[in-house]
Amino acid sequence: MQKEISKIERAAGLLLKISAMLMIAGANTTRIFLSLYRFSAALGYKAHALITHRAIIMTITDELNNESLTKVKRIPPHGVNFRIISGLSRASWAALNEKWSVDQVEAEVTRLRNLPHYPRILILISVSLAGSGFCNIFGGDWLNMLMAFIATFMGLFVRQEAVKMKFNQYICVFLGSFSASIVASFSVMYDIGLKPELSLATSVLFLVPGVPLINSFTDTIDGNLINGIVRFAHGTMIVLAIALGLFSAMMLFQLRTV
Amino acid sequence: METFYNLAERFIWSGIAAAGFGILFNVPSRSLFSAGLLGAFAGLIKFPMIMSGVNIILASLAAATFVGFISVPLAHRVHTPPFVFSIPAIIPMIPGYFAYKMILGLFNLTVASSLSENADLMFSVFNNGLKMIFILFSISIGVSLPMLISRRQTVKNLSIKKLKKIIQ
Repeated sequence: MQKEISKIERAAGLLLKISAMLMIAGANTTRIFLSLYRFSAALGYKAHALITHRAIIMTITDELNNESLTKVKRIPPHGVNFRIISGLSRASWAALNEKWSVDQVEAEVTRLRNLPHYPRILILISVSLAGSGFCNIFGGDWLNMLMAFIATFMGLFVRQEAVKMKFNQYICVFLGSFSASIVASFSVMYDIGLKPELSLATSVLFLVPGVPLINSFTDTIDGNLINGIVRFAHGTMIVLAIALGLFSAMMLFQLRTV
Repeated sequence: METFYNLAERFIWSGIAAAGFGILFNVPSRSLFSAGLLGAFAGLIKFPMIMSGVNIILASLAAATFVGFISVPLAHRVHTPPFVFSIPAIIPMIPGYFAYKMILGLFNLTVASSLSENADLMFSVFNNGLKMIFILFSISIGVSLPMLISRRQTVKNLSIKKLKKIIQ
């Protein structure tokens, strides 16, 4: 016989889901706690949590009925998505001010979860433009920028395909970096543009783990030291994967240094 | 005139880079323009400072502080947490270049044969690695400075006027 899910159990599941979504989307730990406290206050519970990079442990207490419940949830690998963070932050204020019910919160969470990404071709083109922007900032000419554009485009495409095939996340970064720097290595080989090595240096910048590294420092400043250290290690692993891809391509083309 | 043209070019491309990363991070379209503009102005602060000989760490701190403070009133206008546009805006300042220069130096150390080569590589590893860490640190301090001096955890109800009062 299936037991009916109690009210507190449903609320705990929902709060865990919200915290996990925020962690996956790239929010810092303080932000996750803030949203968690707002949502739990709106639903009428007190929440305490241990939030880590790959799992969340949470106890919620109903002080009126003297009930409490503890749950644990694993978190899958992260993918930055600011639309979810922005949406959940707005929803948390609305829930607090308008006293939302569990159903309302659940409906909003489901709606946010199904919000679309930008179209893939738009992401590819805009990130490639950003790559050629970096090339310009470091002093490249139009030909260098064009090569950086093509290299970034190829690299991001390969990385997206690798993510789709569910490779390990660091391998995805390595493959992206490897293919981007192979394309850019041609510009060094055939001496295209004013500073061809600049295309090579900027072609992998789209992979730089900006969000984990910034979050690592904000977490450390806020006193969430463990999360800060974990995020820094994660960011360093990504940088290592990028450099490994770049290094392999350079070995292949027998280029010494950038 | 030459420097003006140079700066205008960097202004535009910094903005494009910030907006490009905004799209990669799925920033809502209503905040995308602000993110791009913020990134462009951050570039406009950072590059003249570097050109006039200021240390890159200090220049990054100044630009990130600017982004941090401007993102507070912007956050009120579009009802979004400030870092949704402040992070894309500072992504072009992330010292990725130094980061992998350091790692490449580490890789090259494994194949270095002579003592002088070793010493050069050690210098490059430490120089680039320290630059990376300090730039990262100054960027994250700069961006979260409004929160740190107002001693609050959320920018809701926080205006520039109130910030002034708190500082005094």
